Amino acid sequence: MLTINNRDKIEWQPGMTVSDVLNKMGYNYSLITVTVNGVLILEEDYDTYEVEDNAQISVFHLAHGG
Amino acid sequence: MAKKKTNKINILVDGKPITIVEDNFLLPDLLKNNIAIPTLCHHKDLTPNGSCRLCIVEIEERGRKRLVTSCNFPVRSEIKVETNSEVVKKYRQNLAEMYLGRWPNVEIIQKVARECGATDKDKYKSYLTEDSAHACILCGHCTRACNEFIQEDIIDFAGRGIKRHIAMPFENVDPHCVGCTSCAYVCPTGAIQVSDNRNHPVNAKLIQEHGMKVNAEMATLDPYQCRMREVGTANIVEVMNNYDLLPVKNFKYGTHEDTWRIDSNMMKKSYFTQGHPDQCWHGCSMACAKAVEDFELRTGPYKGHKVIVDGPEYETAAGSSNMGCFDMDFCVEYNFYCDTYGIDTISFATCMAFVMECFENGIIDKKDTDGLELNFGATTDTLEILHQMARGKGFGVEVGQGIKYLKNKWAEKHPEKADFVRDIGMEVKGLEFSEYVSKESLAQQAGYSLALKGPQHDEAWLIFMDMVNNQIPSFEDKAEALYYFPLFRTWFGLYGLCKIVWNDVVPADNAQKHPPQIAAKIPEHVENYWKFVEGMTGRKVDEKIMLDESAKVHNLQKIMGLMLGKNSFEDDIPPYRAVGPVTEEEYESRQERYDGQLKELGFDIDDKTTPEKMAILRKYRYEQYDKVQKAAYKRRGWNEKGIPKIERLKELGIDLPELVEIIEPLQ
Repeated sequence: MLTINNRDKIEWQPGMTVSDVLNKMGYNYSLITVTVNGVLILEEDYDTYEVEDNAQISVFHLAHGG
Repeated sequence: MAKKKTNKINILVDGKPITIVEDNFLLPDLLKNNIAIPTLCHHKDLTPNGSCRLCIVEIEERGRKRLVTSCNFPVRSEIKVETNSEVVKKYRQNLAEMYLGRWPNVEIIQKVARECGATDKDKYKSYLTEDSAHACILCGHCTRACNEFIQEDIIDFAGRGIKRHIAMPFENVDPHCVGCTSCAYVCPTGAIQVSDNRNHPVNAKLIQEHGMKVNAEMATLDPYQCRMREVGTANIVEVMNNYDLLPVKNFKYGTHEDTWRIDSNMMKKSYFTQGHPDQCWHGCSMACAKAVEDFELRTGPYKGHKVIVDGPEYETAAGSSNMGCFDMDFCVEYNFYCDTYGIDTISFATCMAFVMECFENGIIDKKDTDGLELNFGATTDTLEILHQMARGKGFGVEVGQGIKYLKNKWAEKHPEKADFVRDIGMEVKGLEFSEYVSKESLAQQAGYSLALKGPQHDEAWLIFMDMVNNQIPSFEDKAEALYYFPLFRTWFGLYGLCKIVWNDVVPADNAQKHPPQIAAKIPEHVENYWKFVEGMTGRKVDEKIMLDESAKVHNLQKIMGLMLGKNSFEDDIPPYRAVGPVTEEEYESRQERYDGQLKELGFDIDDKTTPEKMAILRKYRYEQYDKVQKAAYKRRGWNEKGIPKIERLKELGIDLPELVEIIEPLQ
């Protein structure tokens, strides 16, 4: 089980990357920052960085528009 | 949105392994790895053009060696790179000697010559030699900055061969030059100088430094971030739809399958013809305004005319979805006529959405509307209402009075449906809501409803911070956000500055440099505003000065509202449509979400009907709203009824007798 932003839960699957997590959550926003267990993940690594089960993931959306 | 490639390629540079993202140009990664490469024409924020040839390196690809300019060489395979081989060194030395021969006294040339071991000034001395220390070295920084920073082509190369030089068209001063000074800023030799700071700022250099940072961000980051230059604020139509935040049918829902018909892709593909800087801000590099040309109107006094329409922006498109009109032609036409008649698109759309829901629920019928069928999606009849409003005839005149007026009138006419009418009438303080669904964000409900001018999101737009990021979970956190953001946004508004350059482009490392609470403020961009004020006036600004300055005005606005009989506690409470689901169909459309929330809160809902669950949710959500409202008041130095405390006015130095007289009886 993965926890997103201290609140939302999604099922973990082996080999799941940051991109998979973002797709699963429907997060397609342009200004986001991702940390996995407190470690900052660069956008260029989203497709390759694999998250571990029980990871705490923060997906920070910076407001634009509005 | 342009997406950056993420594939990694391993290359060998001078025998050492480096990992590089596919398609990245070589030079920035070499510099990042502390490999010194001389260059004259490279600039970190400008597209490389490979013209000075000094950054040459030797690459080996599939066994074949060749020389390439590293600044514009995209890495696409596992190459070997020699940055300092004998052939590279010899090539660079020879080039540097030529540069030295032509511009012997230019500092940057002397520096590059030293780096390349070029010492003979006279080897290439000729009649072309220029002795000036500020000679133009034809690096092209200025022409690229003009084009990429500011989207103009005021200066460019003219002449050929040895006559090549930088010029404006026909060697005259081009009146289209906005005086942005980008060219002078990037000029490495001082060949371009700013001779006249027209507004006479105290410190023009300070303003220029901060302005150029934004220009560079627009040139390099905007295509991957908000695409403001490409489609303007319309970029968030599809984003809001994906996050269930795009108002659909009077804010009932947050998403719709037909949104693609009115999103930014549709606008770009088939509508926008103008994306050039329109000078809404002189020299603004963001240029977010877009326009549709040759648009043939199908209704109204200009029917059949081909017109230019300024827009549509996000709110106009979201107004269309709110009226259930997923029709881009309609969107552009109501945009045009609202502008032409001087009617606010947001107020019109939100008001019409309310009228449509009332029509569909039998609150009003065709007798009231003079025969118009005002169901959601009624594009032609909605345009007729707009024309009636302007002509001062028909039902449009009623609609033009706004939701507050209609709500009271129709609630009185239908006492049995009065609560429903009040719940769905999306206004606070007499102003219609702007176009975001706030149901799942308590902070945004307060951001809208506590805004002194009414529910315009420009005081506080906190949906993502609250609903998605969960970064302001406590009431105190929300109250802090409801203190800082309205004051910050009020503050730059007071100076007449635009909001767009605060958060519609963001420094690449913003979220890496700051923890989320701070990152949300975008500190570097807040500083840009402070430095602008300092550069213009000479007065330094910091966060405390800014917030206090703004709080004075904010409190004055509040008290002036009280003087007019508005801004009471009740005036800060949103209609329930802004807080939760009003109708059963609305609840059931998001049943999983609402049921889940109720269960998580510990309510036993297993044998409850939808109306029963709705009643529990409503009570809970309004209790939550009450808490956030009071927490926000407290943070602002107001009492539980939202009245500024006299001590607060004293702190701010605005405890004038005429103000104290208003609030004293309300303490």
